[in-house]
Amino acid sequence: MRIFPPLLIILIAVSGPGVAEQTLAPVPEGVLAPDFVLQDTDGKTHRLSDYRGTPVIINFWATWCPPCREEIPSMNRAWRRFEKEGIALLAINMGEDEDTIFIFTADYPADFPLLMDRDGAVIEQWPVRGLPTTYVVAPDGTIAYRAIGSREWDDNGLFEKIMELKK
Amino acid sequence: MPLSLNSCQGASVSSMLRLLCALCSLAPAFAHAGVVRGVNEDNGLKSWHFTDADIEIELIQRLPDQTRALFMNHEFSREVIEELATSCMFQTIIRNNGTSATGRPVAINLTQWRMRHAGKVTGIKLKESWLESWTDEQASHAAKLVVRWGMFPTQQEYLPGDYNWGLTAYGIPPGSIFDLEVFWKAGAADRSGNIDGVECAPDVDKLK
Repeated sequence: MRIFPPLLIILIAVSGPGVAEQTLAPVPEGVLAPDFVLQDTDGKTHRLSDYRGTPVIINFWATWCPPCREEIPSMNRAWRRFEKEGIALLAINMGEDEDTIFIFTADYPADFPLLMDRDGAVIEQWPVRGLPTTYVVAPDGTIAYRAIGSREWDDNGLFEKIMELKK
Repeated sequence: MPLSLNSCQGASVSSMLRLLCALCSLAPAFAHAGVVRGVNEDNGLKSWHFTDADIEIELIQRLPDQTRALFMNHEFSREVIEELATSCMFQTIIRNNGTSATGRPVAINLTQWRMRHAGKVTGIKLKESWLESWTDEQASHAAKLVVRWGMFPTQQEYLPGDYNWGLTAYGIPPGSIFDLEVFWKAGAADRSGNIDGVECAPDVDKLK
C-alpha cells in the first residue's frame, strides 16, 4: 500500500494534542525577582538573593490545590537531576502550617525545600494570579521563565531549557 | 499528481486517499467542538467541557458538602461557610490549548462573563465581592487567603500550554440550571461562546 507522507503529516498534526506540550513562557528581560526570606518545614531559613549565581525554580503551591498536588511527583523526580546540576528548587506553600504540610507529604513525598508563606506576604510581591505558578529565576536574579498550571517537571525539554540558564 | 487538500474533491483519488480526506475534513470539527457534557461514573458529578480554537473551559460540579469540607478546615464563621457552600460552585479549568509554535495568548476577565438564570442576565459571583464584605469575625486573614487563592483569578493571561484550576461561583441555589456566556481575548480578537444548561450540584438533602 502506498502512503502519502505529506497527508500523513497533516493527519498527525490535526488528530489531537496527544501528550501535552511542556512549556515555559519567557518573561521579558530585566524583571528582577522579588527577594524574600522564608523558613522551610525543617526550620532552615532561605533568602532568595543568597542563591544568586545559580538558576532557582520558585513554585507557589498549596496542599488543597489539585494541580499543585498533581505536579509534585514529577517535581520530586526532577529535583534529583536539578540538585546534581546545582539548580535550586524552592516550593513556597501559601498560607498553611508545618503540621498540614507534614501530613500532606506522607502522601506526596517532596525531598526539595518546602517554604512557608504563612501570611501570604511573599506571594503578593510576585505577579502570581493562581496556584500553581512557577518561575525560573536566572543566575543574575532576573525572572527568566513562567509556567501557569502544573507541568511534568522531569520532561527533558524543560530540564534543558533550565540548564541553558547556567551557560 | 501533486497532492493538496483540494485533491479531496477529485474523482480519481484512491479509496485510501478518500478515507484520509474524510478524516481531514473532520479535523476542523474537532478543533471547534463546542460543548461536551460528561458524567463522572465514580461520583455522578456532571461536567461541561467547552472547546474553541484557542481555549478549553471545563466546569465540574462541586457538591455543597465538598465546599463545606474545604472551608470548615479554615477560620470561617458557620454562616460564611454555608453561604459559600450553597453558591453553586464549580471546579473550573481554563487552558490555552495552543502550541508554543502556533498559539497566541488568551486573556480571561471573569467580570465579562454573563449567566442567564430565571429570566435574568447577571454577572457571575466574583471572589472580590466576598473578600470585601467579610469582617474579621466572619473570616480570618488565613481563611481569606484560601478564598483569594482557591477561587479562580478574575483576570489572567494564559500563554500556550498554560492552564489554571480554581473555583467559580454563580450565586444561585443548589440544583439550579443556568446558561453561561463566556468571553475571552485571543491575541487581539474578542471571542465568546455559550455553555447552556449548566446544572448546579444538588445539596445533600436532594441526593437520592
